[in-house]
Order: sequence, then C-alpha cells, then structure tokens
Amino acid sequence: MAHAVISCLHANLAAVEAVLADIDQQGINTITCLGDLVGYGPQPNEVVELMRQRAIPTCQGCWDEDIIDGLNACECSYPSQLAERRGHLAHQWTDAEMTAENKRFLASLPTSLRRDKLLFVHGSPNSQHEYLLPDMNAFAALERVETAGAETLFCGHTHQPYVRELRGGSIRVRVQHNDSSSSEEQDMTLPMRRIVNAGSVGEPRHGNTQATYVIHDEATNDLTIREVSYDVAKTCQAIIDAGLPEVFAWRLSHGFEYAERADDASHVCER
Amino acid sequence: MERWALVSGLGGDLEVYEQIQRELKTKRGLDRLFVLGDLIGPKHNNDALLKRLQQPQRGDLPPECIYGWWEEQLLAERGYRGDRTAEALRINHGNDAVEALLASVDTGHMAWLASLQFGFIELDCALLHGSSADVGDELMPSSSPLILLDRLTRLDVNRLFTARSTQQFRLDLNGGAIDSHIKDLNGEHNQQQEVPKRSVIGIGSGEMFSLYAPGSDHIEFVKVGVKPVSRGLGFG
Repeated sequence: MAHAVISCLHANLAAVEAVLADIDQQGINTITCLGDLVGYGPQPNEVVELMRQRAIPTCQGCWDEDIIDGLNACECSYPSQLAERRGHLAHQWTDAEMTAENKRFLASLPTSLRRDKLLFVHGSPNSQHEYLLPDMNAFAALERVETAGAETLFCGHTHQPYVRELRGGSIRVRVQHNDSSSSEEQDMTLPMRRIVNAGSVGEPRHGNTQATYVIHDEATNDLTIREVSYDVAKTCQAIIDAGLPEVFAWRLSHGFEYAERADDASHVCER
Repeated sequence: MERWALVSGLGGDLEVYEQIQRELKTKRGLDRLFVLGDLIGPKHNNDALLKRLQQPQRGDLPPECIYGWWEEQLLAERGYRGDRTAEALRINHGNDAVEALLASVDTGHMAWLASLQFGFIELDCALLHGSSADVGDELMPSSSPLILLDRLTRLDVNRLFTARSTQQFRLDLNGGAIDSHIKDLNGEHNQQQEVPKRSVIGIGSGEMFSLYAPGSDHIEFVKVGVKPVSRGLGFG
C-alpha cells in the first residue's frame, strides 16, 4: 500500500489543493502531514479547515507551536535579525487572523505520529525546531532515527526534499576502566535506517517553485519525491493583498529562501 | 605541561573536598581544578562546602565550578528555571527529598549557584556534568557508541568529560564508518563518513576523581588516599 507524506503547507491554499489533487489522482488514501500548516502564507484558516475536513493525521510543526505557545523559542528560530523581524510580522498577522477553533486544533496536534516502524515528525524526534539537513553528520542522523526506535523517519522543516539511506555502519570502541590496567575493544554494527524529508507544499526551497511531497510504497519500500505545479502567482497576490511582507511572495516565486537558512542547523532549540 | 584536576559529586561533603585539596598539593604541575557539578547533595548541609568553593582558603587550587543534577533540581524548585520545578527529584525520591534539599542550602548561596554555567569548553574538550544533551544524561561504558558519538558531535569536541554516571572510565571511539545514499531532485550520490577519533571520559564522583593532561591526552583515575596503579610505560 502506498501512502503520501506532506509537510510545511504554510497557509498556501492553492499549493495544498494542487498536492491533494495529485495524491487523489493516484488513488492514495493514506496521507500524513508533518505540520507547519500556517505561517508566511495568506490562508491559514482555509488550510487548517481543509486538513480538518479531510481528517488527515497531522503532527504539530514549529509554526503551529509558536502560534499556540507564543514566540518563546531560543534564538535558533531565525538565522538573522532581518529574518526575525519578517517572521514576527508573519506570526502577528497569522495570530490575529486565525479563529479560536483553528488555534485549538493546532494546539491539539501531537509532536509525532508512529505507524509500526515509521515515525513522523516535523523537525526531528528531539524538537520541532531541529533541522535534519541531507548533509548532516551521518552518525548523528542515524542516532535520531535509532534512539526514536524507528526504521524510517519522515520529517520536514528544511523545505528541501530528500531520501537518505544510512547503511553499512559500524563503530569500534576501546574501554578502559579505573580498576583495570588493560582495556577491552568492542565493535558495534549499526542498523540500516532511512530519513525521508517531504520538502514543502506551501513554500518550496529546493530551487524550484513546485510544491513537493513524497510517496512511500510499503510493499516495495520505494520512495518517490513528487513535484506538483500550482498557481504560484495567485498565492503571491494573496500575500501582497493580505499585507504580509512582499519578500514572502518574491521568494515563493523563486523557489528559494534568500538568506534565511539557519547558520547552525545542528542546534537543538532549548525552549 | 598543563594538567587539570576533575572532580564532581562532592554532595556538600567538605571533608572529602579538603582531602582532595590535600591530595592535589602532592601532585605536580596541576594548573586548574574543575568541579563538574553536584557540589550539593541530600546527605549533608551544603553551606560550609559552598562557602569554601566561593571563598577558597590560602593554598587551595581555586575551583572552577559548573552546575550538576542536584543544583538543577534546587534551582528549578527555587524558581530559577522558569515554570519548571524539581520534578525529577520529586518523582524519584518524593516530596520529603525536595524539602530536605531546600533546607540544606542557605538561600544566600542561590545567586552564586544560579550563575554557574552548564559546562566549559577548554581546548578541544567539553567539561560537563551529564552530556551536551542534558545535565541528567548518564554516559557510561555501556552507553550506545552511537549516542556517545552524537553527544561529542553536538559540541564538535574531541574529548567529553562527564560525571553524572559517577563512574571512572575512558571510552575511545577508534574505528568504523558509515555509508550514506542520498536521493533528491538533483539526482543521487553516496557519502562515506569515518568515525572520528574521539573519547568520552567518566571522571568519577566524590573521593574518586581524575587528573588529565591535555597536551599528552593522559588520564589518571585517582581515589583519595590510594596510590595509582602503574599503567606501564612512563618516565621515572
């Protein structure tokens, strides 16, 4: 059976509708969403209501968490003061725009979902704010999956889709105790694990304007990254009409986020 | 050659601290004394030791302290950690233990305890109570090497000194590798990463402490009053 995983919708209704239509067209009935339903985009209520209406199991993303808990993350949320100012504007606008009922829905979302050996999170099992980038230290990446007791970890947050298979790993250690003049050696064979980043539906940052998501065929274990076209200009116009920073429309129309990549992606938020 | 003394788990025991200071006077070339948390504990009134740490006596190697698990519990219960309280202590030892801890430290010491840092980075070494993940993280020889490597990687250090487990040990990561196959919209590629030569060192607790020479990477496990066992080659 194939299932689809979507992430980082960011209040972009046109993109969400296009991706859901693409999933429906392929006859896939099981969809999991990795959060960030809101933030940056102009239609937070519409997107949340669509997800509720479709009853799509969803994890809470960092933006969803911030709307509920307030902006109390440590400095890791934004890589620059400029990005922080824009982010705060988007936060305030979204906070004012969203209905109480939709906020309650965001507050009700779990931080992770699990189906057998598949684990679904927004950032990492440690935090909704941690970035698992494709070039992250491979041992640290494996630790995130293994410590969480999963075989395949689905995440989002980076807005860059990828499938990373970690395999053939081993670690050799030598242990010396205080009560022994000798030392002992041990070898640990590491299990094969996968990290699958679903990219972003509502704010792609992979160098292309198309929305991305992934399809996982559980029978064959194949993973496919899908790109879906949608009416980018319509969302860009809605961003400007809503009074959100115009740079959000500009970067959406270019498919990357100018100067907004975290400097220290391995940082774990200490909120 | 620079040498450090690494101590933890004093638990308010001034007598043990004085024994350690006396022992350190017999060791050559010690430059610094790091006290890696758990200065306080539930078994003693902690005030005398806290005063001595803040006001070293003449001849003491001046202590450089960080906070440990017991300080974290006290600071949380006293309102220095936002909304958090001493939940871990309460769950594991009951409310009486929390009350006993509160009574064992004069509130006049709280500002100093609150000023202590989570850890020190010295050269390529992290000096911590637990680990880079949490002050309560217990790293020991039986910990998964994957977790140990992660804790080293988080701070990008070659040596991580830990005290939480109370054990004295040295674990060297000295071999191995992992392959990555990455597929994205630009194509597919492979990476291989080797295990870096890094170490996690448990410094012990109370009268068990450690001496470390960063220049030679030599660790010596010490117990107060006990002569160290010769470990082979050395200089006479």
